[in-house]
Amino acid sequence: MTSNTQQENDHQSIAARMINNENFKTIGDISAKKPRMVCKNVNVHYGDFHAIKNLSIEIGKNEVVAFIGPSGCGKSTFLRTLNRMNDTIDICKVSGSIELDGVNIYDKSIDVVELRANVGMVFQKPNPFPKSIYENVIYGAKIHGLVKSKADMDELVEKSLRKASLWSEVKDQLHKPGTGLSGGQQQRLCIARAIAISPEIILMDEPCSALDPISTAKIEELISELQQNYTIVIVTHSMQQAARVSNRTAYFHLGKLVEVGNTDDIFNIPKHKLTEDYITGRFG
Amino acid sequence: MTVTISKKIKKQQKKAELAKQAAKKLAKRHRQEKNFRRIGLAAVLMGMLFLVILFTDIISKGYTAFMQTQIQLTIDFDSNRIAKNIAKNKETDGETLYNGNYRKLVSDALYAKFPDVTKRKDKKLLRSIISTSAQYYLRDLAVTKIDTDSRANDSNDLQRNIAIGSGKSAADAESPSAVQYQINSQYVGQKQDIWVIADDLFDMFHKGFYTAEGAESERLIKDNYVTWYNKLLAEGNIRTVFNFDFFTNTDSTNAELAGIWGAMKGSFYVLLVTLLLSFPIGVGAAIYLEEFAPKNRWTDLIEVNINNLAAVPSIVFGLLGLAVFLNFFGLPRSAPIVGGIVLSLMTLPTIIISSRASLKSVPPSIKDAALGVGASKMQTITHHTLPLALPGMLTGTIIGMAQALGETAPLLMIGMIAFVMSVPTGIFDNATVMPVQIFLWSDLPARGFMVKTSAAIMVLLAFLITMNAIAVILRKRFERRW
Amino acid sequence: MDLTPQPHHTVSSFDDEMNQLHAQIMEMGGLAKKQIQKAIASIKKEDLDLAKKVLKRENKVNNFELNVDASVNRIIALRQPMASDLRHIMAISKCVNDLERVGDEARKIAKITAKFYGGDSTPPNPSLLRDIDNMSKYAQGTLSDALEALSRWDMDSALAIAKSDEELNLAFSDALRRLATYMMEDSRNIGYAIDVVFLIKAIERVGDHARNIAEYIVYAVSGQDIRHMDSEEAHESVADVQNYNSYK
Repeated sequence: MTSNTQQENDHQSIAARMINNENFKTIGDISAKKPRMVCKNVNVHYGDFHAIKNLSIEIGKNEVVAFIGPSGCGKSTFLRTLNRMNDTIDICKVSGSIELDGVNIYDKSIDVVELRANVGMVFQKPNPFPKSIYENVIYGAKIHGLVKSKADMDELVEKSLRKASLWSEVKDQLHKPGTGLSGGQQQRLCIARAIAISPEIILMDEPCSALDPISTAKIEELISELQQNYTIVIVTHSMQQAARVSNRTAYFHLGKLVEVGNTDDIFNIPKHKLTEDYITGRFG
Repeated sequence: MTVTISKKIKKQQKKAELAKQAAKKLAKRHRQEKNFRRIGLAAVLMGMLFLVILFTDIISKGYTAFMQTQIQLTIDFDSNRIAKNIAKNKETDGETLYNGNYRKLVSDALYAKFPDVTKRKDKKLLRSIISTSAQYYLRDLAVTKIDTDSRANDSNDLQRNIAIGSGKSAADAESPSAVQYQINSQYVGQKQDIWVIADDLFDMFHKGFYTAEGAESERLIKDNYVTWYNKLLAEGNIRTVFNFDFFTNTDSTNAELAGIWGAMKGSFYVLLVTLLLSFPIGVGAAIYLEEFAPKNRWTDLIEVNINNLAAVPSIVFGLLGLAVFLNFFGLPRSAPIVGGIVLSLMTLPTIIISSRASLKSVPPSIKDAALGVGASKMQTITHHTLPLALPGMLTGTIIGMAQALGETAPLLMIGMIAFVMSVPTGIFDNATVMPVQIFLWSDLPARGFMVKTSAAIMVLLAFLITMNAIAVILRKRFERRW
Repeated sequence: MDLTPQPHHTVSSFDDEMNQLHAQIMEMGGLAKKQIQKAIASIKKEDLDLAKKVLKRENKVNNFELNVDASVNRIIALRQPMASDLRHIMAISKCVNDLERVGDEARKIAKITAKFYGGDSTPPNPSLLRDIDNMSKYAQGTLSDALEALSRWDMDSALAIAKSDEELNLAFSDALRRLATYMMEDSRNIGYAIDVVFLIKAIERVGDHARNIAEYIVYAVSGQDIRHMDSEEAHESVADVQNYNSYK
């Protein structure tokens, strides 16, 4: 009994040392083959809380990158810094550079509205507007002035819904409220809404956490289809999901990027002990 | 062996004991729960009982005010009787006729009806059964007064037509202050059976508020009075009709004539000012505080102060209005504009708090969604947050308005308690409001006013209930679940 | 939330199942080792009864194989193991095969014992069996080292096993050369010699199986597949992984 607690104490102190070590460096190759988004030494502070610590990673073209890690490790926070959704939080301060195709998105000359048109987002809870399905899909394109005529609008709605593999299910009820759909359909509607403004990168913040397995499978299938045209960054709590959908996986811990690498390697032979312990279920 | 058996028995006993205790505890818990439910139910029933008592009291007292007692008299519209000097001129002059003595017509009709009344004192009593308004009513029947001031200039033809029978009207027609009189030959020179309004006392007696029992000297209704009443009743000269006057008249010193039209219009203007001021300001403040304001010590302070403001006694706002708007800015006394401003101050916190609550209840996921597809903050608010929060805001506003409608104290301070006989035609006119009218009437000794008080309360309650019902309907209809 | 990693799984029944599986494979390993020991003893001591016992117990090893496979399937289906858990389970699943084969080799040896000393024919010239002593020492040593390493998931000793297997292989080729000489010397020996070749081949196979087990251990612990590598390469590939796992 004594030896057991002793052992655990040793374990904890070692883990704490690893996390808090100033010289800590991300394990694995952070670079992508065709980088679109290059993050260098990103730090995010919420007031006094240091949420993201000196994080660097590249996200490549037509790549699905999964962020995994325990709750509160900063993966969602980091995801939201990628399209500046954290701007709405006053106490949130971001430093370092995040470049999208060579342009720093935190530069003063960048219009955040335009940025979000390029970097779309899908949220944890399906959040369609309390409007019709048609209105939901067309809203983004409308405010960006991408569509003018009714024919354009119809075409865009159909195209987006088809891409989100929702068209066949809703084509007869386009003018019914989007909130009346099932959870999985709502989430696909949100994906259709995101791709209607033709973004280059789609951020997904735990898109399946509120869905049943079948809806989840549909979304996962959709992600692998979307991969041909879009770059996708997905935060997920389900390691199986990360393993299934992503090309590369990044493991976050206490605001640090502990390890990043090809998904096969991360789930088969993780190099860092923390990654290993997390994905094998050895966390307190 | 025996030891183990006794141990077993002990164990069983202990178990049984524990089970007993548990059962006791459970029974106690159930009892407590039941008692709690009973107390709650009793509280609800008590509240409802009080409400029922209040309503029955008010309705039983007030419903008669919606009926008016009228007496039929045979009036002889003889020009000579109306105006004595007509005999000299030998010409029916509208103005003279208008200014004639119509009171005499009423008295004469009464004397004719009751020829056996001869004593001066009795005659005076007899005259008092008819409302003083009767003479003006008869006058208006006989002569129509037309104030050309209020007429359009191009209606000369009409004026000429009206001028028939008016000697100097042709010359005066051009002057803007000209007043014209039209004699109605339908009445003048004829004998007509006319229904006139009975006096308050008569009305109350007819409605059964007074009895003619006991010693004559100790009651208000004298024997004569009863005799006359009985005769009129027997001959079918008393009727009760719906009291339109109650809704169309302004305040009066005579209970049978007092109405709420002036107060209603005053309330309308006050609420209009209140709504126009407090809704935009309240919603604007709520949007700023909820969506734009940085969360720091200052905004916290503002929030606390708004909440405190909602708890400030309304009389304080009245004092503020008196000191600032009347004395400092010199705005007119007793005017709806000042009342409206003061009530806006009072309803602002309500509207701000409820608007903020409804803005807060818009799920952040919707805002995220809008921002996520690239809507600007302004677009997010105008396209999504506001439409979703509006029903809640309107509900809060209506409730605030209802509160303002029922408010008395601050208006007393700014002079809206004045006895106003004219109907206000704008926000700068003298006016009074419904609750103040109720307050004024409740203070008056005449029995008729007591009834009117209850009736006015009923009207006010009807308005309040309607407004609250609209609020509930709005909430029910637009309430969304997501 | 507590973010400290623990030495055990959050789901403790997973730990229990893993430990049980490990115990099962260790028990099976012990049995296989005993079978080999007894089979070799039977041929050394010309003990027919012992050989029969070995043959009788062979199906016990086979039963173990079925049981461990079932456990492995269950854990994979219910726990969806990842990373090191998955590697350990896969290693165990493969060890089972090798241990079953070790059991088969024991049977082969026992059968040859029965053939030699079953009384139908005269026993072989003892000089033909000279190498068995030496080789079986090596083979049993490697096997018990491998099982020892498996019991502690000890990568270092597992890496050392590859070396001792190489020595066994050398001994095997020596023995073959010697047998060839015997056969050339006296053609009457040929019949026996063929059986002896089978015999020493079986012993040599035991060493190979032990080596396989050692390789699975290295894979389970480090994630590096060192099959078809020589020991130097294996050491190199494992070295950088060891850096990350400096604590355990």
